[in-house]
Amino acid sequence: MSGPYLHKDISRRTLLARAGQLGFLGAGAPLAMNLASAAEAAAVGADDYRALVCVFLYGGNDHGNTLVPYDPVNHSRYLGIRGGVAFQRKDLDKTALTPIRAQTLTDDLHYAFAPYCPRLKVLFDGGKLAPLLNVGSLITPLTLAQYKSSNRALYPTPPKLFSHNDQQCTWQAMGSEGSTVGWGGRLGDLALAGNDHALLTCISASGNAVFVSGNKALQYQISPSGAIAVKPFKEPEYGSPAISEALHQLITQPRQHAMENELTILARRSIEMEGIVNGALDKVTLQTNFDTVPGPNSLADQFKIVARLIGARKELGAKRQVFFVSLDGFDQHSNLVAKHSELMGKVDEALAAFYVATVEMGVQRQVTAFTASDFGRTLANNGDGSDHGWGSHHYVVGGAVHGGHYYGTAPHVSVDTDDQVGQGRLLPSTSIDQYAATLARWFGVPDSEIATVLPNIGNFDRTPLGFV
Amino acid sequence: MAVLVESRPAMKASIAPGKMTEADAARFLLRAQFSASDADIAFVRAHGYAAWLDQQFASPRGQTGVDWLTAHKHDAIDKDAHYFWPQAGDYMIWNQILAQPGEMRLRAAYALSQFFVISLNPIDGYWPPYIMAAWWDLLADGAFGNFRDLLERVTLNAGMGMYLNTKGNLKEDKATGRQPDENYAREVMQLFTIGLRMLNPDGTEKLDASGRPIDTYGQDDITNLSRVFTGYDHDMRRTRNITVPWQNFPVITHEFCVDPMRLDPGKHSNLAVSFCGTTIPADTPGKDALKTALDTLFHHPNVGPFFGKQMIQRLVTSNPSPAYVRRVAAAFDDNGSGVRGDLKAVWRAVLTDPEALAAVDPADTLSGKLREPVLRLASWARTVGLHSETGDFVMHDLSRSDNALGQSPLRSPSVFNFYRPGFVPAHTAIAGAHRLAPEFQLQNETSVAGYINFLQWVIRWGYTDVKPTYDPLRDFAHDPERVVTWLNLHLAADQLSPQTCGLIATALASKQVTPDSPDGHKLDMLASACLLVLSAPEYLVQK
Repeated sequence: MSGPYLHKDISRRTLLARAGQLGFLGAGAPLAMNLASAAEAAAVGADDYRALVCVFLYGGNDHGNTLVPYDPVNHSRYLGIRGGVAFQRKDLDKTALTPIRAQTLTDDLHYAFAPYCPRLKVLFDGGKLAPLLNVGSLITPLTLAQYKSSNRALYPTPPKLFSHNDQQCTWQAMGSEGSTVGWGGRLGDLALAGNDHALLTCISASGNAVFVSGNKALQYQISPSGAIAVKPFKEPEYGSPAISEALHQLITQPRQHAMENELTILARRSIEMEGIVNGALDKVTLQTNFDTVPGPNSLADQFKIVARLIGARKELGAKRQVFFVSLDGFDQHSNLVAKHSELMGKVDEALAAFYVATVEMGVQRQVTAFTASDFGRTLANNGDGSDHGWGSHHYVVGGAVHGGHYYGTAPHVSVDTDDQVGQGRLLPSTSIDQYAATLARWFGVPDSEIATVLPNIGNFDRTPLGFV
Repeated sequence: MAVLVESRPAMKASIAPGKMTEADAARFLLRAQFSASDADIAFVRAHGYAAWLDQQFASPRGQTGVDWLTAHKHDAIDKDAHYFWPQAGDYMIWNQILAQPGEMRLRAAYALSQFFVISLNPIDGYWPPYIMAAWWDLLADGAFGNFRDLLERVTLNAGMGMYLNTKGNLKEDKATGRQPDENYAREVMQLFTIGLRMLNPDGTEKLDASGRPIDTYGQDDITNLSRVFTGYDHDMRRTRNITVPWQNFPVITHEFCVDPMRLDPGKHSNLAVSFCGTTIPADTPGKDALKTALDTLFHHPNVGPFFGKQMIQRLVTSNPSPAYVRRVAAAFDDNGSGVRGDLKAVWRAVLTDPEALAAVDPADTLSGKLREPVLRLASWARTVGLHSETGDFVMHDLSRSDNALGQSPLRSPSVFNFYRPGFVPAHTAIAGAHRLAPEFQLQNETSVAGYINFLQWVIRWGYTDVKPTYDPLRDFAHDPERVVTWLNLHLAADQLSPQTCGLIATALASKQVTPDSPDGHKLDMLASACLLVLSAPEYLVQK
């Protein structure tokens, strides 16, 4: 690591140590202050704007060690099943959760966040974060008996369960690999017309993601450093204006061959949008610190460019936007304790910073972030990790969220009850469609249009889940 | 057998030696390896495709990745703890891809590295570069061998053990609720052998009586198979502990990276295993259980079409016809001498199939494939000549798309490779035609610009100690038309149209380079020429 980084880290470490002297809330203290000032800020900028941000945890987040059974009875069940990858109860004392209003869960469960998610706890306590319990891919509601039935015509299961790439695609597009339209993209289709730049309706800060690809809405991909200009156009260096001009022609002129032509379409789009996007971003001032913990955090970098784009919404004439950010590496078959700490720690840092940024910009009620992931994992352990599962817990964060409260049905802490299909792989009690439909309604999709976004929603109870 | 008869024509060149043009030969060579040298073009024209392939199959490897690391002192045990650093893993693989001889073997190994995937990204602990070099050497050494041998070496490789968790995988334990790790059991089926759906020999999905696809396996098969992969760990017998003054635990030497993992019978599950129609009885010795399990996967009828289609996609076209896949699968099933899994037969079938060698049809607007960024850089480097001033090949992870190449070998973001074989770019005429374009998964608004920006620097100034020589072009650097013609043949098999060549030559002429111009001006012009050719859609889509 080079000098400047090291220097930065040391100074941050010093700061952190000082904050630590304030007690547990050290890391969460600025966040708590922001929560307190949220109410007044919200009154200020109430323009007609809404944004959804999908936070995808690639690899299948271990829900069992993210939201952990904390009451003594359930914790001891958890300890018995998880063995060497379990948290001790005392490790969870500081992140134990108490719902804002009394709530009784399955088997009188009480949860705590993983110790490395102190900021998520603060968001929960402040009513800005809502956990949705045991949500996953389903085609119709399914009991364990129906799952075990061989009558797939009557009791269809989602294709290619437990497979990473296919379940990523199922979460994003309700179909296995090869799908080209995601539900975020379908939301974008409905919102395109209200935005000055249709292309800035669906945006990925994390490379190609089918989630933000609609029937009409294209996904615009941006890097954490903003849009990238083609340098030889601006600085020919050893070239010449004639070389730059030839380059421009070559990469943008339509071509007969379809693959070649798609490259030119993409190049034209890249060049055209770069000026518009960077022009608008240049005018955004955002004070929020996205780097509150030592070490790089690619998710925080992505959240920051999303926040800056939201800051540029008026300049860009955007009324409704769908964003996609992601973090890799959640497939923790081994070394779960260390790796999960590293990754969920990044999620904790990034989500909290993003929320603070929306408060700074006065849009916290207009921006809702939510998590998604390939699948949950087994509750049973394989020595030092866990294996591919199905249902999982997810989190919705924002000023419009009715947080500090659980939604969905808490699963038993068990490997043999009828809400799991073996080794603690959860049989989802809430479908992705219901999760998505609730977010879609908040985004402004009328009831009559929900089924165009989520074709299977008719198979489920359509009552909104109420978390936002 | 019908399949045998069909696999034969694929082994013959459809253009007789002597009638082959330079462009025909270059087109073949740019698929079979990274570049097309004049010597290779001449050989292919004189002796045909099959003879050239035989010559490659018989040629020895260049320096191995492991030997290269050691020759460059990356085995040094020093106070900076370089034994924990990953960087030399990147230097090693760039040296292999850009500079080592035995190009076809290395090109094949690169294709294999996108089927059997491990990535340097999460590899930690001692000697990550040696872990990756041993992995790469396994693929390069096995590229002309048999799939079954390769599958076993892949399974027991030290790096694969770390990447998909066979290393340290323990048998079930009722007392603690511990289950075997399922990661390798799942991915060896889904990605390395049979895939998720039953296939016809032509690679299309089999359907049941009600028209639904048929799964190859279920969760129970995985849970069972996972028992086979328990009890393995790195083999530390040749590895030595070295006491050093600067840390309070010993440094270990790197032999464990190269040696296959070792079975500890006490940690191996003795439960019976039942998967994909095969049963391995309880208490079968681990070694025998492994053999039965890998044999079962190897003999599954899906392997030929599943593997074969992906190798066609890597080397020739994103959208082979079912008949092309069937011919390659048949060559996998039987090399003509009754041997299953002969990779030489697969490469022959892929590269000399009539569909591959048929003339480019201008009316077919979906032919070919997008060249991935690593292949663009490799084709350029090997064509214009590259020189590492120090020999150190200090080329880093180039994965970032905003300020680097947008791809780096052995740096896949996950076991699912840089892109998926079934990827369809949304909102394109490709999707409209229901075709695939895997490499487009890396193509976006950021990478379009990032790639050109990266090129602009590297093709003129090189990357750290690695500099382009432009030796083959220097003598005629003052002649724009000749430069463009030469680059068109060697980089693009003459697939740049006359209009495009004219556009580039005219732009280059504005540089007004003469035979007496200083070297720097000539290099400016050659770099400009390469920037334009390597950015041209006709080059980027390899047909």
